[in-house]
Amino acid sequence: MTVLHTLRCIGFAGCPRIAGAVGMPESDVESELIDLAVAGLVTHLPGEFGGWGLTDAGRVADAERSTGELESAGARPALTAAFDGFLVLNPELLDLCTAWQLRSADGVMIANDHRDRSYDARVLARFAEFHERAVVVCHELSAALPRFDRYRIRLAEALKRADAGELGYVADDIGSYHSVWAELHEDLLATLGIPR
Amino acid sequence: MKWIRPLSAQIDEPAEVVGGKAHGLLVLHRLGLPVPPAFVITTEACRAFLRDGRFPDGLSDELALARRDIAGAAVSVRSGAGVSMPGMMNTMLNVDRDLEQAVASVFSSWHTPRARTYRELHDIPHDLGTAVIVQAMVLGDRDEHSGTGVAFSRDPNTGAPAPFGEVLFGHQGDAVVSGAALTEPLQHLADREPLVWNGLLDALHRIEAHYRDACYVEFTYESGELWLLQVRPGRFAGAAAVRLATDLADEGVIDRHTALLRVSPQHLRHVHTPRMAAEHVLARGLGACPGVTTGRVATTTDSAVRLAAAGPVVLVRPETSPHDMRGLAAATGIVTARGGPASHAAVVARAMGKPAVVGIADLVVDKGSLHIGGHTVAEGTVITIDGTSGEVALGSQPTVTTTAHTHLTRLLTWADDVSGNHTDRDEAERLTAAHAALRT
Repeated sequence: MTVLHTLRCIGFAGCPRIAGAVGMPESDVESELIDLAVAGLVTHLPGEFGGWGLTDAGRVADAERSTGELESAGARPALTAAFDGFLVLNPELLDLCTAWQLRSADGVMIANDHRDRSYDARVLARFAEFHERAVVVCHELSAALPRFDRYRIRLAEALKRADAGELGYVADDIGSYHSVWAELHEDLLATLGIPR
Repeated sequence: MKWIRPLSAQIDEPAEVVGGKAHGLLVLHRLGLPVPPAFVITTEACRAFLRDGRFPDGLSDELALARRDIAGAAVSVRSGAGVSMPGMMNTMLNVDRDLEQAVASVFSSWHTPRARTYRELHDIPHDLGTAVIVQAMVLGDRDEHSGTGVAFSRDPNTGAPAPFGEVLFGHQGDAVVSGAALTEPLQHLADREPLVWNGLLDALHRIEAHYRDACYVEFTYESGELWLLQVRPGRFAGAAAVRLATDLADEGVIDRHTALLRVSPQHLRHVHTPRMAAEHVLARGLGACPGVTTGRVATTTDSAVRLAAAGPVVLVRPETSPHDMRGLAAATGIVTARGGPASHAAVVARAMGKPAVVGIADLVVDKGSLHIGGHTVAEGTVITIDGTSGEVALGSQPTVTTTAHTHLTRLLTWADDVSGNHTDRDEAERLTAAHAALRT
């Protein structure tokens, strides 16, 4: 993963979050962001909802680079096939996130207040089982383009933290299983050049 | 026949055998209501197929025989398990040849990993299997006197005793999803097709009397002739459940004790969720996170962040992606055209605790404006959204904390009469005490 491509997949973000996504020390990320800003490829927006993000030129540059990487590796067919596997899993992951947030009580959907440990354990067990199948798809993705292995690592980390009691790592926080999954989705669309 | 049952008034089989959907169609037959010709392949046949990997002996012959009794070149092939698993299994429309393959594909969809996960989450055994309904197609797009729609016998948002739903004139239901046609409020049917409307009212009335409960139907009318395709009890929640149970008791349809048992204490926890009280609703989608919010329309994340500096903003997007996280963070509410209650936007909205409406099929988002319910709404226009009912209205709208205050007061008086405890307590506690007394 490069810092430039990470920003294309995660949107505007602060330095710590970019470092977490790309898997590099913050200081290295910061120095690269400055170089990219000098080249006109990224910009920093101030304010509560600000952060580092791509400029139009940065988006074009990354599209060229990621397409070049894909074609020179001859990876398009393999990545497309793996993306099909991702799309099969996608609705199930969203079902699981929904089951984490809402549960049925007497036929009514209510917010899961996470006071029922056994219910949470049941949902997390399904996440663990789902993750085994997600890992298979991640391996197919990284066999096509090695940088995709970063998602396998981040998904595993999110699940580990959720299992250890950091419940926000399922669907709520930045870095949660759901947000990493959504970033992977965005990466696949961006890399394969598929419009939303 | 061993594996197949025709759908007719003479057949009396439980939902475990013919599935919930076919069981509802049998109810319609017994009530003398119009159902397109159909037969159902039992869950037992599905279980045999899943066990052996092939049709059980005799099913192919029965299928060919039963198919001959259904006129028309094409049929629909629908899944329908004994317990509801909405959207988890296959359904195929316009099947004109290789019916066996279509049936096998619906059987097999019982075991997709997604369906397995759904069952694990909802405590549904894996060995039940699904029934399969094979039904003559009726065409809502045949001519100008054709159409399709959904109808509740009462308003599922408030419980008010008037039919509620949507109708699509001159089209099949999939035209909504593809954006080729706009749905209209069900009441428009009264003017356009008075005979169909009267038939529908009569059907809703008879079905309500049968279930002693509000009901939901899916219908199509072809060349002026009404057909019912699916039925189930209404499953109202929150304030609507309170109003429905109280009204049914007042109408003498159920007694007061039954009314009390119809309302779960869980409903009361949500009975005071703020709701929008708008006279005119611009569009309806699906409520994905409860609550009401008013704000100016932003059609991009950048404009959401910009407009949020000057006051509340509702972010309106075709769907959301990680690039919208800034806009979602800046907005007080979220509206999307695509996606259901388990979409990226819905999951993020709930994580952030912001009212959200998703899946407004006829919403088109352009840069700087949106097209919704036949109107063009410019960026910056104030709208109000209700994440319970999925309603969107222009302008700042009033909210109410319950749409069923007088009904709730009466229901809880009945509850105290049953429990014998008239002390001042939490509403859910009062109902729980009545349930305990009624169940001993």
